[in-house]
Amino acid sequence: MKNKVVAMLLAGGQGSRLKSLTYNIAKPAIPFGGKYRIIDFPLSNCMNSEIHTVGVLTQYQPHVLHNYIGQGIPWDLDRRSGGVTMLTPYTEMGGLKWYDGTANAIYQNMHYLVEQDPEYVLILSGDHIYKMNYQTMLEFHKEQNADVTISVIEVPWKDTHRFGIMNTDDKLNVKEFVEKPENAESNLASMGVYIFNWQKLKKYLQLDNENENSSHDFGKNIIPLMLENNEKMVAYPYKGYWKDVGTVDSLWEANMDLLDETSGLNLHDPGWRIFSSNPQLPPQFIGEHGTVQDSLVNEGCVIEGEIEKSVIFQDVQVDEGASLKECVVMSGVKIGQGAQLQRVIIPPGLSIPENYQIPDQKEEIVLLTEEVLQNWRRGEGQ
Amino acid sequence: MRLMAVIDASVRMSGLEDLTMYRSTASIPFSGRYRLIDFALSNVVNSNINLVGVFPAYPFVSLLDHIGVGKSWDLNRRKDGLFFLPGSQKVGNYVSVGAFSMLGEHRSFFVKSRQEHVVITNCFTVAQLDFEEMLDVHLTSGKDITEAICEDGTHLKSYILSKKLLLELMESYEEKKVISIEDVVNRKKAPYTFNTYTHDGFVAVIDSTENYFRSAMSLLEAGQREKLYLKDRPIYTKVKDEPPTKHLKGSQVSQALIGNGCTIAGSVKKSIISRAVSIQEGARLENCIIMQKSKIGKNCELTCVIADKDVEIDDGVVLKGTWQQPIVLRKGERVTKEDVQ
Repeated sequence: MKNKVVAMLLAGGQGSRLKSLTYNIAKPAIPFGGKYRIIDFPLSNCMNSEIHTVGVLTQYQPHVLHNYIGQGIPWDLDRRSGGVTMLTPYTEMGGLKWYDGTANAIYQNMHYLVEQDPEYVLILSGDHIYKMNYQTMLEFHKEQNADVTISVIEVPWKDTHRFGIMNTDDKLNVKEFVEKPENAESNLASMGVYIFNWQKLKKYLQLDNENENSSHDFGKNIIPLMLENNEKMVAYPYKGYWKDVGTVDSLWEANMDLLDETSGLNLHDPGWRIFSSNPQLPPQFIGEHGTVQDSLVNEGCVIEGEIEKSVIFQDVQVDEGASLKECVVMSGVKIGQGAQLQRVIIPPGLSIPENYQIPDQKEEIVLLTEEVLQNWRRGEGQ
Repeated sequence: MRLMAVIDASVRMSGLEDLTMYRSTASIPFSGRYRLIDFALSNVVNSNINLVGVFPAYPFVSLLDHIGVGKSWDLNRRKDGLFFLPGSQKVGNYVSVGAFSMLGEHRSFFVKSRQEHVVITNCFTVAQLDFEEMLDVHLTSGKDITEAICEDGTHLKSYILSKKLLLELMESYEEKKVISIEDVVNRKKAPYTFNTYTHDGFVAVIDSTENYFRSAMSLLEAGQREKLYLKDRPIYTKVKDEPPTKHLKGSQVSQALIGNGCTIAGSVKKSIISRAVSIQEGARLENCIIMQKSKIGKNCELTCVIADKDVEIDDGVVLKGTWQQPIVLRKGERVTKEDVQ
């Protein structure tokens, strides 16, 4: 098919700075926004951009992701041709091959791309929250006659040291790529979204694979090598909300951004819906004594307590006299009577005891765990 | 495997005209999220029945749009699954459940099936019926036809009989002078024998707008929701990808069932709000049922109002109905301040 695009979605990351949230699931599977998982954003972007062939590369703790994505039904990816394909590391005659770097993960699934035979390959990360029309980016890529187009976002100058920075000329041609520079010349950060002409990508993946000293990473190896060889590389400036939720704090912030009308992240836009699996639960019930202010609440919840500036996932029960402020409460959580919580992330399924309060909490964001609760219960029993 | 199901979605209730201008009784929205047929379909799948025929009445576009190929109920099967079986007569207007003339138009649906027994159920009863248990009771009784009833004697108008008997009735109903399975049971027609199965739990039989209003509202009372929304027997419905509901600063919600995708800035008390409804600041709602995608303007004051789908109420409109006579705004209606003066 002419103009065919295949998206390769990198979803193998662990996200170790998210602590207990990623002990059993990969980072892209982390719940977000009262209903979603992070990976819903790139998958929904694909669906809304009419990209119907998506390879999802998994490695770390993949079973929740595999089960969740399944045949890709929520994103209309259950298709006769194309659709979603889960790509995990595999064994072959030469032995077992773990994915070693982002570029290596794509290299090892070359046969999938050869079989799909696209004209363009869209590389995506499963870790980012943003809404983006990839077709518009592809139009730009074609207009510019580029070999590779890299989506960039302007970041505050003080944060440039945390990103891969693109130095461009005034026509947005990329001249240099600097990973986490101390003194940045530009504040255009790579979003980890690339469009490659497939034949060029194929060539450079093979070249990179032959280089034993390479760490097989797009940012560190493929992009610099292509620049060295004067391939046409352009930056596609993206304007809008984009967040890499790599830490407990940034996950909390991203959830709070949903309550801030000026943040630019709007889930209530029917023109660019985020699709997700929809559990079959009754509507939320707010009880006689329940109060909910400035919050998002999902289906199946029964709220008898007080909620302020919080994001409440499905099937959460908040008992009378409990109070939550600036909290992210994931699915199936029960909050006992009189519990008082502020600036807390509560992972799925936890049961918060009656009158629970976090001892010695200052301003920091706390990620609750079963162990913390058990210790508290032990203390209470004394 | 022993049981197949018929969902009679054809019965018209004369008391429900306000809500059935563009749809049949089966697709009336209920409880902030569901359509009435969801309860029948969920009872069927929760009773492990894999073969179900839905017999609709015109206009059924809304119903067809809702149930599709039955995916939400896991009924999109290669073997058995959901069959949509409309009649050839445009003005069905059946008034009792399981009309033989209607079923007879799709005789082959029954002949081709492998199941030995048939449950015939309807779309105007909201209850959690366990047809597996009902079949056991039926078989033990040795009687010909079993009807589900409530402890207080309310007829739930769901019936179990053998497929053989149903086919026989479809052949001979004219000479036996009976109209429907409901008719046979009500008249205790000889030579058949009859049994009842008593159901315990939340029950609503929706046969008038007033009744609809009262039944829906009763779910807001303590202890009622738990009787209808059972963890191990979920009510399935067509899912929509709505985001979680936004409760804005200054909003006030108490004793209310609220669907997803709503934006609430006003105050909502003892009400049922369907998905994607917007309630603007200063609006005050009490004892209202607002269906999907309706918009309630600023500083509106609504008491005992049923607003059907896509209703738009302009800023400052005051509407006061009563429990006996709720005000019904029909689908797509727009209400301005001038309209109510």
